[in-house]
Amino acid sequence: MSNPDQNQMKQECQNQRECMEMLQLIVDGEASPEQKEHFLVHHLEECMPCYKNYHLEVAIRQLLKNKCTGQAPQELIDSIKAKVISNLAP
Amino acid sequence: MELEESPKQQYSDKEKSNIFNNEFMPHINSMYNFAYRLTLDQDDSKDLVQDTYLKAYRFIDSFQQGTNAKAWLFRILKNSFINDYRKKSKEPSKVDYQEVESYYNSEEVDRQITPDLRVEALKDMIGDEISNALNSLDVDFRTVIILCDLEGFKYDEMAKILDIPIGTVRSRLHRARNLLKEKLSEYAKQMGYKNA
Ligand SMILES: [Zn+2]
Repeated sequence: MSNPDQNQMKQECQNQRECMEMLQLIVDGEASPEQKEHFLVHHLEECMPCYKNYHLEVAIRQLLKNKCTGQAPQELIDSIKAKVISNLAP
Repeated sequence: MELEESPKQQYSDKEKSNIFNNEFMPHINSMYNFAYRLTLDQDDSKDLVQDTYLKAYRFIDSFQQGTNAKAWLFRILKNSFINDYRKKSKEPSKVDYQEVESYYNSEEVDRQITPDLRVEALKDMIGDEISNALNSLDVDFRTVIILCDLEGFKYDEMAKILDIPIGTVRSRLHRARNLLKEKLSEYAKQMGYKNA
């Protein structure tokens, strides 16, 4: 996506509701390639609110992935394995 | 996906061990994170994950190899949480699904709740703000964000894990993200961002 000239962009979105639904489909990986192309390449170039929303959604997801995941404690892994192995023993 | 269904497979011990180690255990970090975000308690989350894995092993014949092991495990964990842990907690679910549906279908959805939450404000959230914001959401809203944004499940997989229609998955996600943005916007204001 190029960096659009913000002065040329619409400050109001004409299809806010449809756009919000499309944006959700796109960030969730549920949109078709045509839908993505139309929204990401054409609509975002000209619509300021959608441009901002899209980047906000992407940034939130990135932050979630970086900050809200973790590792299972090793003792838990060991304990599960031990219990299952003892179950498997004849 | 159903544990209650009669087993369709009969695996040998060697096959069971292979499935368990190669298809179930690789999801342990995701499972632990899910459990922790549901219970918000380290001991409870360890117990919940262990219960889930032992259940998965006990019912391994209901798991069909080649299908989505992660979704299968997540569904068992979610059901164990509802049956064994949620009952214990004093706080009942506050989500009124009817309300969620009507919210989604109302004009209110057109209203941008936090139009000015800015990416720059998010970039300064290097502490626990996002984690606290996520944890502060009602458990049903928290759950859809975890499944979708952290674990990358598709809508149809989420519908199966949660036993709800896809339309409800979408409306709940939409609402959950707005609530999360509201929280983040509060934090941004506290951090000194104006109009955040
Ligand atoms: Zn737009």
